[in-house]
Amino acid sequence: MKEQNFSYVPDEQELEKASNGYIMSLVAVVVGLPLPVINLLATFVFFLANRRSTYFVRWHCTQALLSQFSLFLVNTVGFWWTLSVLFREDVEISNPYIAYIATVLCFNIGELVLTIYTAIKTRKGEHISWWFYGPLTNLICKS
Amino acid sequence: MKKSLFQALLLILIFAGIFYGLSQVNWMKLFRVEKVTDALEKQLGDMVWSDMEKKSIESGPEYKKLDSVLNAICKGNGLNRDEIKLHLMEDAEVNAFALPDHHMVVYTGLIKEAKSNDEIAGVLAHEIAHMELKHVMKKLVKQIGYSILISITTGDAGGEVIKEVLGILTSSAYDRSLEKDADLKAVEYLKNAKLDVKAFADFLYRLGEENEGAVPLTWISTHPDPKERAKYILKEGQMTRK
Repeated sequence: MKEQNFSYVPDEQELEKASNGYIMSLVAVVVGLPLPVINLLATFVFFLANRRSTYFVRWHCTQALLSQFSLFLVNTVGFWWTLSVLFREDVEISNPYIAYIATVLCFNIGELVLTIYTAIKTRKGEHISWWFYGPLTNLICKS
Repeated sequence: MKKSLFQALLLILIFAGIFYGLSQVNWMKLFRVEKVTDALEKQLGDMVWSDMEKKSIESGPEYKKLDSVLNAICKGNGLNRDEIKLHLMEDAEVNAFALPDHHMVVYTGLIKEAKSNDEIAGVLAHEIAHMELKHVMKKLVKQIGYSILISITTGDAGGEVIKEVLGILTSSAYDRSLEKDADLKAVEYLKNAKLDVKAFADFLYRLGEENEGAVPLTWISTHPDPKERAKYILKEGQMTRK
């Protein structure tokens, strides 16, 4: 993750919207919705609402959406595995299950910290590009 | 583009690496999951059995017959016979079931229905398999919940839950895949003990045909299709039905 110069200086309203792109992915966690798809949906709805917005806003909404999507994939596996452990007699708690949940938890906490950090920095006008997600966003999001 | 693909691959590898690393830790031992479950099973077994033991027959020719069959299975498979608490109960129902902590209950109705010791051996081997594969606790934890089971042993839950535990274990089958696992393990036990696998399949087949009769065939009606079971039991025993 590194701070980069953006192609133009965004105004105050853009900074707020771009920062909200990250905040949206956290809203679902704050209101206590455990379904992994909720975070993704919240970010996606915000992304749709801002898809005709300025480049800076779109760029950050896309980065937030992409990071949420990969988290959604690993969370979904964990979610269904947990349901199987709870309700299927032939699936039980095992070392791989606990290891997977611990791994997913580490990634979620990491993502949470990064998201909050990026939301704050973006609000302050700094352009934060994440490792992997930043270059990927550059490929998808055109000015 | 190439850089992004490489980074994506690296991200997947990091995830897989952490997962693999954490998988090497014996979390079950660390959290004492098995130890706690074993202690819970013992307590539950005692409590559930104390609710039933008044109707138990622990002697007589039928009990001796059961005991000798059980001994043969245990001896042939290196199983600890003393660990299994065999109980015979006076009941016309054709039923047998395993309770927590290796309590095995057989109804007199099942003994009367069986035409040979080998047929009884099949049923006993199936129930031993449920015990040895830890299906009993798996089923209870899934259907009742760990916290409620613990509350029974600490005295916070009433007799109603004990009745529920009994109801689940005496008159409902395990998950389909667990029943098949128990059948296949039973075949292994019978073969090791040099007992007739075909008799077990025949017993299931016959009970399947009689299922509409006056005597409740609980052991059959609550389980998966007996004819289908007979087929894969014969296949596992590599025999054919005449």
